[in-house]
Amino acid sequence: MTVASYLFVAACLFGIGLYGLLQRRSLVAMLIALELMLAAVSINVVALTTLAGRDGSLGQVVALILVGVAAAEAAIALSLFVAIHRARHTIDVEQLSELTG
Amino acid sequence: MSGPVLAAVLAQAAPLAACLTILIGLRARPRAAAGLATLSLVVALGATAYLVVVVAVPNVHWVAQTTWLPVADGPALAFGVFFDPLAATMSFVVAFITLAVMVYSLGYMAGDPGFARYFGFLALFAWAMLGLVLASNLLQVLVFWELVGLASFLLIGFWFEQSAPAAAARKAFLMTRVGDVGFLLGVLLLVRALGNATISDVVAAAGPAGVFSPRFTTTVALLLLMGVIGKSAQGPLFTWLPDAMEGPTPVSALLHSATMVAAGVFLVARLHGFFAAAPEVMRGLLWLALVTALATATMAMVAEDIKRVLAYSTISQLGYMLMALAAGSVTAGFFHLTTHAGFKALLFMASGIFIHHAHSNDMRVIATKQPRSQRAGVIGLVSGSLALAGVIPFSGYFSKEAVLTTLGQHAGTAALALAYLGAGLTAYYTFRMVFLTVGQGAAGRRAVGAVGDAVGSGQDHAPNAGDRAMASVVLVLSVLTLVLGYLGGWLGARLGHEGVEHGPFALGAGPLVALALVAAGIALAWVEFGRRGAARAGFAERVPALRDFFGDNWYVDRLYGATLVRWGTALSRAARWHDHTVLDGASDGVASGAVWGGRILARVQAGYVQAYVAVAISLIAALGVWLVRRGGLP
Amino acid sequence: MVFAGSAAIALFGALLAVGLKNIFHNILGFALAMLGVAGVFLSLGSDFLAAVFVLVYVGAVAIAMVYAVMLSYPLDLPQRRRSVPKIAAAALLAAIVTGVLWLVVRRAPWPPPLGAPDDVAAAQTGYRFLTDYVLAFELISVLLVVAMMGAVMVARRTREGGSGR
Repeated sequence: MTVASYLFVAACLFGIGLYGLLQRRSLVAMLIALELMLAAVSINVVALTTLAGRDGSLGQVVALILVGVAAAEAAIALSLFVAIHRARHTIDVEQLSELTG
Repeated sequence: MSGPVLAAVLAQAAPLAACLTILIGLRARPRAAAGLATLSLVVALGATAYLVVVVAVPNVHWVAQTTWLPVADGPALAFGVFFDPLAATMSFVVAFITLAVMVYSLGYMAGDPGFARYFGFLALFAWAMLGLVLASNLLQVLVFWELVGLASFLLIGFWFEQSAPAAAARKAFLMTRVGDVGFLLGVLLLVRALGNATISDVVAAAGPAGVFSPRFTTTVALLLLMGVIGKSAQGPLFTWLPDAMEGPTPVSALLHSATMVAAGVFLVARLHGFFAAAPEVMRGLLWLALVTALATATMAMVAEDIKRVLAYSTISQLGYMLMALAAGSVTAGFFHLTTHAGFKALLFMASGIFIHHAHSNDMRVIATKQPRSQRAGVIGLVSGSLALAGVIPFSGYFSKEAVLTTLGQHAGTAALALAYLGAGLTAYYTFRMVFLTVGQGAAGRRAVGAVGDAVGSGQDHAPNAGDRAMASVVLVLSVLTLVLGYLGGWLGARLGHEGVEHGPFALGAGPLVALALVAAGIALAWVEFGRRGAARAGFAERVPALRDFFGDNWYVDRLYGATLVRWGTALSRAARWHDHTVLDGASDGVASGAVWGGRILARVQAGYVQAYVAVAISLIAALGVWLVRRGGLP
Repeated sequence: MVFAGSAAIALFGALLAVGLKNIFHNILGFALAMLGVAGVFLSLGSDFLAAVFVLVYVGAVAIAMVYAVMLSYPLDLPQRRRSVPKIAAAALLAAIVTGVLWLVVRRAPWPPPLGAPDDVAAAQTGYRFLTDYVLAFELISVLLVVAMMGAVMVARRTREGGSGR
């Protein structure tokens, strides 16, 4: 497989995640989409270092760091969602914007 | 400054000073205001008398001009005084009549809350009129022309709290304005052609040795005549004068009979050399004035209001003056102007005595209020009427004879015949007025008792100082109507123009015909109104169609109302709509557009995460596209 | 072959994750997508990474999402209507971005494929972590500790019933 095909797949995954991020109302759904985007980035990094670069392990390192960050972020985000729900009784992002526009 | 020039300046300066002082400082002190105004007119009268005496030689004139507004590349606007026997005499007439009216007003306007303001305006008028008469160039004439129009506006609408005087003042101002447009254009053309508008230069340039082409002279003459037609209420622009009777009677006596409306006549006389170079225009003026004179005579025949009769009569007599001037005789026209000033002012002031006594302008009402008890009024009314009708030996006879003779010599038989007809009608309507007001004994009064009782009784009190003032002025003027007629020859000699060939004292065929017509008119009036048991309804009044037609200004006002007024109102409504909807809408639209735009922009800052993400991503995508097209980072 | 199938599974799962209405179906789709991504890593020769992905995402993150949904989602309220302009705009923007990325990928001069990549040994990765990238490793661990503490603190219920401290 050429590197380009991996990058295509990653781009499609990224686009799908972007669509979900922009379009879903629930905070949890937005988080899911965000995780998809991060996964697409990981694929990109690993594919490039493995197939188009010289050192495949560098890509793995980066991808593992990304996984760690994403996990930490998901944990905090989820607990924040619970707290928001407790305070506002909603996790609809359209109802949570306080600035009047 | 030499003596005569100083006198000319003083004659204008005194009323001006009085006017300013009164209007600025003396409004709360009516007696001081009246005294100051009268005093200033006495000064002016003395100055103008000196002028008349000094300028003893015909065809000599005095000029003193200074440059008022030097313009870099163009004509320098001058300002000064210019007088010859014509101007000197006119200024004397103006000063004299104004002084008489002021003394009369001390009685007539007594008790009015605007007493001081009234005298201030009268002084304003005196200044403006004297300035017009003594002006040295046409731009200056134009300035004072407009100023007398202003004074007329202020005085017609003196009782501005009521709607009729205010409307009449507006109508007068606007109508004369229409004529003044032509006047302004004519003056501007002259300034452009000559570089200045000095009267002597203008007259010289139109003469046989001058630089103006006949076509140019004709055009300018027509334009200047528009102003004359407006100011002297001839032709299509006459309807403001009957309405101007809403003003106080002394104002009518001064402005709208003797002086202001005569300014147009004076202008034609003054620029006679200029107008003589446009004979077709003069011919047109002759016929216009003739038609106006006859038409307004018919209107006077059916009027019920005594002042309106006199107003129509004024327009008619102005027509006679203009006819004489158009036919070529300055002497005849100006002579008639002078005598008319005397007897018309007299008639107005005499009628004012009756109006004051009966509290009504309606002749039939006046008749029921014991008019014969007002002796001075009766004397004034009768002598003025005899002069107006043209009965020998009153002044009006001589001047009218001069006019008719001139017409006979230069204007052709048709015009002359119509002028004679007008003279007969003049006598008729004048004595209709006399018989309707004072011609009734006790029996006649009973016959019209029903009309009068509805109004209530007139004032009954012993004559006071005010009444005496009014009476004395009227009596003085009555005497004048007997005297003035004999001054015709002197005037002709002074003016040095080609006068009437055989003087007015000769009783040739022409004068006899005129006298016969006058007698016929008076007789008809007596038959219809004066004798005991008369029906008191004129031949024209019996025909309802004629009565309506003559009584409604020959429907001219209705014509104007249906056309010009309606168009003007529609235009102003359209302009108002445009102002409210388009202009205000546009500016409001800008404001609300700004608000709307702000509201839209505020959505960028809504705290809406997905919008933020969308914006950021799209910008990055755009950057990416740009980089791709460029072929990579530099 | 592995790549094609895994990619298909990943994309299909992603579509489920963003397209379906029920939030639990979304989470399941997410898990499926992560399985697909792990398969992609396998085809790249990164066994360890694939294993980590399955463990962390499918095993931990998805479960945590389920818990969070059960604690916070207004499941008993009716769903709100989705606005068509929003869907259209989001789809358009996503398509544009994807298109741009495709464009970049297509234009870049990639070196010819070298055949199947060698497997990268997990030991090699661990060695890298502890020598060249030890700082990143330490930072990640600190970050994880902080995240744990923060998550607990934020979600803790106080005596009055509020959140946090």
